[in-house]
Formats: sequence, C-alpha cells, structure tokens
Amino acid sequence: MFKFQDFDGKLLALRAEMTAPVARIVTTRMPSAPEPIRLFYVNNVFRYSQSYLKREREFCQAGVELVGCNTPEADGEILALLISSLKQVGLKEARIDLGHASLLKDLLNAAGLDEQQKVSVQGLLACRDSVGLKKFMEQNSFPSNLREAFLQLSSCRRLDEVSSISLNGSKYDKANKQLGSLLELQETLADYEIEDLVFFDFSLTKKIEYYTGIVFEASVPNLGLPLGSGGRYDDFIEKFGKLRLPATGFALEIGKLLQALTAQGFEIPKKTKTNVIVMSKFRNSSVEAVKILRESGVIASLEVTRRSLEKTIEYGKLMGTDYVVSVGSSLKSPVTVFDVKSNVSRNIMFETFLGEVGG
Amino acid sequence: MNKKIRIAIPNKGRLKKPAIEALERAEIEILEEERAYVSKTSDPRFEAIFARANDIPVYVHYGAVDLGITGHDLILERGADVLELLDLEFGKCTLVVAVPDASTINSVGEVPALARVATGFPNITRKYFEKTGKQVEVLEVSGTAELAPKLGLAQIIVDITSTGETLRKNKLRIIGNILESTSRLACNKIAYRTFEKQINELLASMRGESK
Repeated sequence: MFKFQDFDGKLLALRAEMTAPVARIVTTRMPSAPEPIRLFYVNNVFRYSQSYLKREREFCQAGVELVGCNTPEADGEILALLISSLKQVGLKEARIDLGHASLLKDLLNAAGLDEQQKVSVQGLLACRDSVGLKKFMEQNSFPSNLREAFLQLSSCRRLDEVSSISLNGSKYDKANKQLGSLLELQETLADYEIEDLVFFDFSLTKKIEYYTGIVFEASVPNLGLPLGSGGRYDDFIEKFGKLRLPATGFALEIGKLLQALTAQGFEIPKKTKTNVIVMSKFRNSSVEAVKILRESGVIASLEVTRRSLEKTIEYGKLMGTDYVVSVGSSLKSPVTVFDVKSNVSRNIMFETFLGEVGG
Repeated sequence: MNKKIRIAIPNKGRLKKPAIEALERAEIEILEEERAYVSKTSDPRFEAIFARANDIPVYVHYGAVDLGITGHDLILERGADVLELLDLEFGKCTLVVAVPDASTINSVGEVPALARVATGFPNITRKYFEKTGKQVEVLEVSGTAELAPKLGLAQIIVDITSTGETLRKNKLRIIGNILESTSRLACNKIAYRTFEKQINELLASMRGESK
C-alpha cells in the first residue's frame, strides 16, 4: 500500500482495493439502510504492482457488493452478475474458478497440523503437486478418510462432484456444512444456467485474509492473468463498526478486460460523432453555428486563433477533425465545407450541412 | 478452442540440453529449433519457444507461454506467481553467500552493516539479508558476480554454485546457503485451467508413468 504522512504527521494511505472503503461507508454512512444493500463502483485504486511490462501503479476497478445476506442465493446472484458482466463487455469463453476460504482452513485444523505443516499442504495444493501431497499425507499420518477427502477435493472440478465427499466425525461438522453449502450454490447456479461456467478449485485461496466463504477468480483462455476476483467476507464489515453484516462481491480490472478483449480480436467501436471546426470573420455567425451544431449532437469547436483556412485545415488534419466549416456574415447564405479526410470543399447551405452531420 | 500449448525452453546455458531431453522422454521432439520464433514439435498439441532461462518465469506468469522449463531460483528471483508442476531434478545448484578466501568474515552473522553484496539475484538477496536483520547494499550485476571482489566492487557475493569449482577458481569461500534449486516445469495458472487434461497427460509422461 502507498502510505505517507499528512501535514500534522497523521498516516495517510491510498486505497489499494475498494472493499474496505465500501465496508466503511456501509457502517458509517448507511447505518439504517434496509438490507440487503446492493452497491457498485467504478474507481481507481493504487498498488505496488509486480508487473514487468508496465510501471503502472493506478488501476481502474469496477465492482459490486451485496451486503447483509449470506444465502446461496446471494452468492449465486454475484456469480451470475460476474458472468453476465463479462459477456456484456464482449468476452468469449469466460469462466469462474471457485474455492472456499474456510473449508481448507477447517480441514487443516481438523487434521491437527501445526502452522508449518499447514503452509506445506497449502503450497503443495497450490502447485497442484498431487504426488507430493500424497507423500506428505503418508509421512504425516493423515487419517485415511481425510487423506481420501483431500485427494478427491483437489481433483474435483465441478461443484456437484463435491457431493460425493463427506467426512464422519463431529470435528468435521464445519467442513461438512461448507461442502453442503457448495452443493446448494451449485443448484442456484443451475437456475441461472451458468453451472457449466463455474468450476471448483480446492487450492484457490486468496492473499486477502478477510474472505470467509467462497472465493473466486474470473478468466478467459486468451489471457494468462485473472480478470478479476471476489468472494464472501462475513466478518469484515464489523471491523469498521459494531454492525455484523455478511457480504459478498467481486471486482473486475478494467485494464485486464481491455487486454483480454484485444487478445480475442475484439475491435473497440470507432467514435460515431462528427467532429467539426467552425471559422468565420464574423464571430456572431460562427458562435451561432457552433451552438446549433452542438445542439444536434456534433462535436463542434470554434476557431479561436484567427488563423487562415489553410492553417485551420492543417490543424484539423492533426486533430482528426472531419470538417472545417467557414461561414459568412449570416447562416442564411451558403457556407464553405472542407472535408478534411478527402480534401474536397463544397459550397452548400448551412441547413444542408446540418442535415448531413446532425443526429 | 484449437490453440496450441506453448512451452518455453532455455535458449542456451546448462539448462537447455537437459530440458530438451526431458521433453524427448515425453515423446515431444522439437522439429525446427534455431531461428524459428515458434518451433513445431512432433506432438501436434505443443509448440516450443526458446527464451532466456531468467525470462521464462515472467513469460509464464503473464501467460505469454503456457509452460516453461526454468530454475526454481529464477522463478523466486523474478517473483513469478506460477505453478511449479514438476521438479525435473536437473540443473541442481545452491544459491550461496561467498567471500574472498582472505576475508575475515566467517559467517553471515559477521557480515558488517552496509556491506556491499554483488549478485545477479538482487531480489532474493535483499529478502535474505532483510530476514537476517542485516542492512546491506545490494549491487546488481548480470553474471560474473565472482569477479566483483577482485575488482573491489563488493566484499561479498551471492551466486549460484553447483560444483563449487568457479568459486574455488576465484578464491572465494562459502559462508552461507540461501536456497537449493533444481529445474521445474512451470505453468501459467490460467493455462492449467484451460488445458488441464493435456497438461496432466504431459506430466504423467514426463514422470515416466504410462499414458
């Protein structure tokens, strides 16, 4: 995080993500808002980036938060919104990979591992090293049912495959409950008809600590980095106030979306508005022409430097202007329209020109 | 999707030959090596790219290639967030802290404050000395860190060694080990999701398991 000191020595920081600011706003500015609260943002955040490609430190994020509810329906809504957002921007083959922040923690606790061993298991899972994982579990005498569950969970890709896993014994109550909640989520996703786009990934854990339930990442095959991520954070908002509010949400990185769209050959639509420069010896008529053009949806600017038509056309070429229009003392008489792209000039009535370019 | 899986192989140095051999054991032969930007392989699912070993972690991280063979030390140095799917066990080396034979420093604990350390691994070196609580000045050199003490550039170097021969030749003595490294098959996290089946098949044949 970027941190620095204010004039009076107080510590200031630039926001590195939006969830914490949203949590603060929910607790301090919206204490009596009816629940659930649905919020969205499109904002810039600041981070030290690992990127070797660009020295960017400012990123634009678009995100949503659904606050005040911890049902599978709430998680389902967020995941469905994520998929439809990606489709809406024009991305193909988008998918979500989803893990569970506390399922892994609870199983590791139930296995009775110390901190060092937990780190080892997480590392092996994160590297998809099933051979190493088997070896580790044998060496550390994992109970056989837990060994089986770990291997099964790490090979599960569909959420409904998780249903085949259950663990006997009361110390596994929490884990079993979470496995059950994943199944319920799968059913919700099926209602949205997106169950084939959401995959289970036992090893998926996020660096951000505040997640308590599902955590997920969105990606497309053409880009090697996730487009965005999110998850459920039921204990986080109360840190900002006394309110305990469960919540879930996601954030997309706008820069990554653009990269992914480019990688998929998507062409950003060209501007459709016409761009016109109006010049005249008679200021009253050029000011009027600019006003009329703007009112009909044209991007019009006034030639303010008092330079010649040639110089203005030269400027127009550099600026990507469509037309330079030279008007006389009145808009009732014909005007000279110079088409900057084709180098053709015509004398036509202002009304006719307006009819051509006006929306 | 009909995309081929791209695998990056070191274009020179000690990792190149064993990397090519490791792929050959998995019945992937590189058909047109030099000059070609992307080389075809005998397996139509894969194509190969030759790149500098220390750039491969970054290529994999960003998904410019899906897979890459490179050193564990280089993956750590570049801070690449990649999957290390397989330890290929060749290119074994140790990243060590070394000083000239004549130095009075006998352990990392004796390294004086603000000592200058020459290394081709500035990130790992910085983290290592931070962890030991030593404030040092890290001088980044590419290759030939072993020359730095002779030239009076630094009293200490951090470099990789496999046999210790280069260090001995340059009259340097090891005072600490930072990490052990071998070559890994690194994989982009998203590529693993996209090509899980094909990559798992590749892993099985590289491990020598029957298909």
